[in-house]
Amino acid sequence: MSALKRVQQWATFARIWHIYDATWQNPFKSAEVVKKFLMGLYKPIYHPLNDCGDHVIIINSGEIALPGDEWKKRVYFHHTGYPGGASWTLAWELHTKDPTMILKKAIYNSMDGNLQRRHTMQRLHIFPDANVPKSLLDNVSNQIRQLRPVPTRLDRYTAEEVASYPKLIDYPKDYIIR
Amino acid sequence: MVFTTAVNFIRARGPDELWRKRRIFKLAAHFIGRKRNCYSIAVRYVHRALVYATKGRKLKKLDMKDLWETRIIAGVNEHDIDYRTFRESLYRSDILLNRKVLADLAAWEPYTFKALTDVAKRRAIDDGLASINNEHKVDGIITRGALTKS
Repeated sequence: MSALKRVQQWATFARIWHIYDATWQNPFKSAEVVKKFLMGLYKPIYHPLNDCGDHVIIINSGEIALPGDEWKKRVYFHHTGYPGGASWTLAWELHTKDPTMILKKAIYNSMDGNLQRRHTMQRLHIFPDANVPKSLLDNVSNQIRQLRPVPTRLDRYTAEEVASYPKLIDYPKDYIIR
Repeated sequence: MVFTTAVNFIRARGPDELWRKRRIFKLAAHFIGRKRNCYSIAVRYVHRALVYATKGRKLKKLDMKDLWETRIIAGVNEHDIDYRTFRESLYRSDILLNRKVLADLAAWEPYTFKALTDVAKRRAIDDGLASINNEHKVDGIITRGALTKS
């Protein structure tokens, strides 16, 4: 390795495009991960002023999974500014109105409230499904690893897979499954 | 005026008023508005600024520590080891580098930094630290532990 190549780092100052699949992921834990890429916290040259953040495309935001009973318990507050203008929206209501909003708010709230935050949010592109414009998708060069693997639902397994799955016991012939 | 008795020194308020005020005005030169022109206002803000400066000397060190840690964490995550394990293993290997040097290495000498993570990983595996296991890839570091355990 030559003396020059030893410290060569291509694309250190380039904006990289990442993609993240939000299917069955916790939006609040995902926000902590996505935030790092949006702000450039994963680069050893990070500095709050040097504008090294990247673009992140989040797909399938409609498929996020909230932990526990948070769909029913988590409340989003909004105030119009007029007297009596306060409103409280449950997470499931917000999600039916706009499937990108919960993730967007989670990421927005995970960052410190400074002047840079709104500009950082401009680099975030959230889509409720996998239909991403090709112009955006062409830029993507990295996929962010999901927090947890997406399990296959029991009714999505084929009959052969269920039949060939190893079993501890066979039910007796006369056993009635209720 | 010349004082000959010690009692009169108590009433003497330092040098001439002009120079006393000038000292304050020089510190207030970059303030905006009456804070820089009117002495009675300027002196309050200069005192406050000096307090901030005193606190700031400590805060600057903390801020730099946070920044260096952020950069080191970014560096070590590239090589699949976490920050705590990395620092602990370097310490156990008698590689006593501080945050500033490690952050500089992570940014400017990525291959040197990778070698450090390899040393740390080997050490952590040999010492059986909980956060790391044999599945972690380690380049080119051979220790007694590496030979016996693999």
